[in-house]
Amino acid sequence: MVRRISLVAAGVVIVVGAMVAFVGLFMLPRPGPLAGPPTTLHLETVAAVGQANEWPRPNDPHPDWVGYLPTTTWTVPANSTIQVQIDQEDGATGLRNPFWGKVFGTEGGNMHVTFFDDKGNPQESDMTSIDPTQAAHTFAIPDLGVFVPLLGVNPNAPAGSANVITFSFKTKGPGRYRWQCFVPCAAKTVFGNGGPMSTIGYMGGTLIVT
Amino acid sequence: MGAFRIEEADRPHMLRLLIIWVILSFVGIVAVLQINYPPYDQTIQGQDQASTLKLLTVLATPVFVGVVMMILYSAVYFRRTTAELVDGPPMLGNTPVQIAWVAISAILVLFLAVVGIATLSSENVAQAVGHPGRAIGQSGGQTGSGTAGGSGAELHIQVIAQQWYFTYRYADYGGVETTHLNLPVDRPVELHVTSLDIIHSFWAYQLGVKADANPGVDNIFHVTPQKTGGFQVRCAELCGLWHGHMADSSGQVVSQSDFDTWIAQQQTDFETIAKAVPSYAPYYFPLPLTKGS
Repeated sequence: MVRRISLVAAGVVIVVGAMVAFVGLFMLPRPGPLAGPPTTLHLETVAAVGQANEWPRPNDPHPDWVGYLPTTTWTVPANSTIQVQIDQEDGATGLRNPFWGKVFGTEGGNMHVTFFDDKGNPQESDMTSIDPTQAAHTFAIPDLGVFVPLLGVNPNAPAGSANVITFSFKTKGPGRYRWQCFVPCAAKTVFGNGGPMSTIGYMGGTLIVT
Repeated sequence: MGAFRIEEADRPHMLRLLIIWVILSFVGIVAVLQINYPPYDQTIQGQDQASTLKLLTVLATPVFVGVVMMILYSAVYFRRTTAELVDGPPMLGNTPVQIAWVAISAILVLFLAVVGIATLSSENVAQAVGHPGRAIGQSGGQTGSGTAGGSGAELHIQVIAQQWYFTYRYADYGGVETTHLNLPVDRPVELHVTSLDIIHSFWAYQLGVKADANPGVDNIFHVTPQKTGGFQVRCAELCGLWHGHMADSSGQVVSQSDFDTWIAQQQTDFETIAKAVPSYAPYYFPLPLTKGS
């Protein structure tokens, strides 16, 4: 009897341990924090992480997934101004909620965008909002009140072009702030919010304020 | 073997148990009456819920005390002291005890039924579920009937859930959309809860509102804030990666004048995107649904 109970208990321990290890190992691998000056974030958004201009990840498990590069975990100082540059290489998908076409929470309430017009000529402008149908992604940290729509690359732009979006925002106290994209840019899943939109390391991540 | 009856030797136990039960029940009821019950009293509807919770707790206290008391008393006085395994004497029923047991249970349940029916037919609940008069016993209810604009008129707000944030459209102020929920005190509010993508749940705990947010569904709830102060909004339906972060602790019930100032600022801010946002409508199915290149 004791031997049988011991075997059952050992079996339960092994199965539970295996399940915990499986979940843990699945969750652990994720990109490390962004290296570089703490008050500057230089990012890249692409339709397929395996084909990025600056930080391609050809060996990624999902090279055809949309994503922010080089990582989605950023460490920045508290109560500081963070300068952000995003090299946006993806085409427009459009916002499900047009309201997010407005810029919120940046210094000056705007962003500076270099882009390509319908003739493929480079342009630049300060913007407080964009046409919601022309959004490729958003850079949003809701708990900091920061919402920035990212203009999609015009189809008439030269191949390999990127829109460059720059803005700055202020951090609050130390903490972990999630950030996400509000464009349903993942496709192939329920209305576009699955896959990379629901996976850390692609279109969602954490801003670690220290 | 005979009919169950209380032995002479057990009568001291019964008397002792009765005295303990009365004393502990009294103490327990006094104690639970001191508790400030959630969701507190920020809205009329929340206060109703708190009152109901208090009543149920008061009624449940003697029952809880009796059960725990019997378990502990039995464990102390009637525990088995020898190692031999023997059955206790069989109990074949006691009519007075059974009558008392059924009668007390029936009285409690019927009392709660009366309280429940009275609550459901009250004006506050009627308002909460969107009927103009009594919530039950009257047909022809309507929603969205308040007069737009102005202090005192019912305020219509669309709650838009989306992965993973709530936004709010104020129908009476040009459909202005905001990232936070502010409400004026002492003014009835009609909340139209919907979703842009999947199933969420709008839970404003302190307001006493928890409403499913389904795509294509206009789920209507009413609240009347009666105290100024902050409140939390969170999603109560597991909705994906950032469900745990779909919360906002900056909701505010403010005075009508502060609300007017705030909403005017929101309207000014909203102008930059107003042309791109569709006209206010209870049902919200914005495009696109496909991925770009």
